[in-house]
Amino acid sequence: MPQSRELHCVIVTPEKALFDEAADFVAVPMFDGELGVLPGRMPVIGRLGCGELRLRRGMEVRRFFVDSGFVQIRGNTVTILTARAQLAEDIDAETVSQTLQAALTPATTPQANDEKFKLQERARAQMRVARHREESAPRG
Amino acid sequence: MANTRALVKRRKAVRNIKKITRTMELIATARFKKAFDRATEAAAYTRKITELAADLSASATNLSHPLLQKRAEVKKTLFLVIGSNRGLCGGYNASILREANQRLRLIQAENAALHLELSGKRPINFFRYQGVKAERTYTQFEDKPRFDEVEVIANHYLEAFIGEKVDRVEVAYMKFLNAARQIPVVETLLPLSPSATAETRPEQKPRVEYEFLPSAGDILQELLPVSFKVRLFQCFLDAAVSEQIARRVTMKQATENADDMIKSLSREYNRARQAQITKEIAEVIGGAAALE
Repeated sequence: MPQSRELHCVIVTPEKALFDEAADFVAVPMFDGELGVLPGRMPVIGRLGCGELRLRRGMEVRRFFVDSGFVQIRGNTVTILTARAQLAEDIDAETVSQTLQAALTPATTPQANDEKFKLQERARAQMRVARHREESAPRG
Repeated sequence: MANTRALVKRRKAVRNIKKITRTMELIATARFKKAFDRATEAAAYTRKITELAADLSASATNLSHPLLQKRAEVKKTLFLVIGSNRGLCGGYNASILREANQRLRLIQAENAALHLELSGKRPINFFRYQGVKAERTYTQFEDKPRFDEVEVIANHYLEAFIGEKVDRVEVAYMKFLNAARQIPVVETLLPLSPSATAETRPEQKPRVEYEFLPSAGDILQELLPVSFKVRLFQCFLDAAVSEQIARRVTMKQATENADDMIKSLSREYNRARQAQITKEIAEVIGGAAALE
């Protein structure tokens, strides 16, 4: 395998191939926390959680919101398979906080409760990504 | 000879219809391109999921998952028919419905209970006329089915299957093979056939030793529902693409027919006009001859 000093990151959703570019460093939101990936990493297949996907290339950092799925790392190619992915810039904090508020009201059935819990988790993760975006904005 | 005025009127009407069919052809072509691009982009996801499933099942042997289990006795079958909302697309709906109806007869012959779901106004009308009751109907799927919308249906099927309310999930739709060939098919989506998840392609590429987070079995547990959702989504995308192709072909045919019709009407009209002129000349000559 050629020892390239660069990672190649691909984000695929069922509707389209969202992103396909090179990066120096990728932080992947796993089901149990963040996984940092540098070039030359060992092959991995893993499960994703909701959270922030961070790509660094030179000085530029790009953030995505990823809503669970799978990751495959193989020979400097990071493939993210997810049902929903969103550029951090596209997150609308207003709507997200509204969804969170709606999800916080208790549900009547256990099933609806699970559903709401998932929504809460997703909304919180989205808020986090939005906050990071704002924090990093003045510096970048 | 026919009335020239009536002929002119008819020719005008045919011309107007030709304009409409021509426009519809162009619209269908544009929509087909879009739908086709979407389907190709989605295929990338499907391919990756399949690849992951193959890699995983190579590592996680003897796994059992409720979605993979074939029920010994099929008591209830969930049958989804995907058609179109609008007509004017030739034999598209007819061929799907023929295939679906055959399958329906077989299910009824097996004495298995049926849970029928329909997508598209055409299948809904057809089965209403046939007197077959549909449990659920969808009309929101046009030429751009969204994953979110399909996911809702998929979740509902998964729940019904795991809860043993249904023992089999089948879908009738138009499979898109290439731009010139689409065939109506009935596919069994649940239980998942192992071939769909784990295509064992021996020695095509060197095996990679993966690290699994958390473990191969756990990931596969999560992956199987996703691969079902993706397959269902693919069905809807295929149906959308096939519908646009069918409409384009039909409208092209209609435009050509209108051309032929205009030609024959023009010929008839010219003949009628000529006959009238000849008649008038004969009358003038006849009148002049009578005066002499």
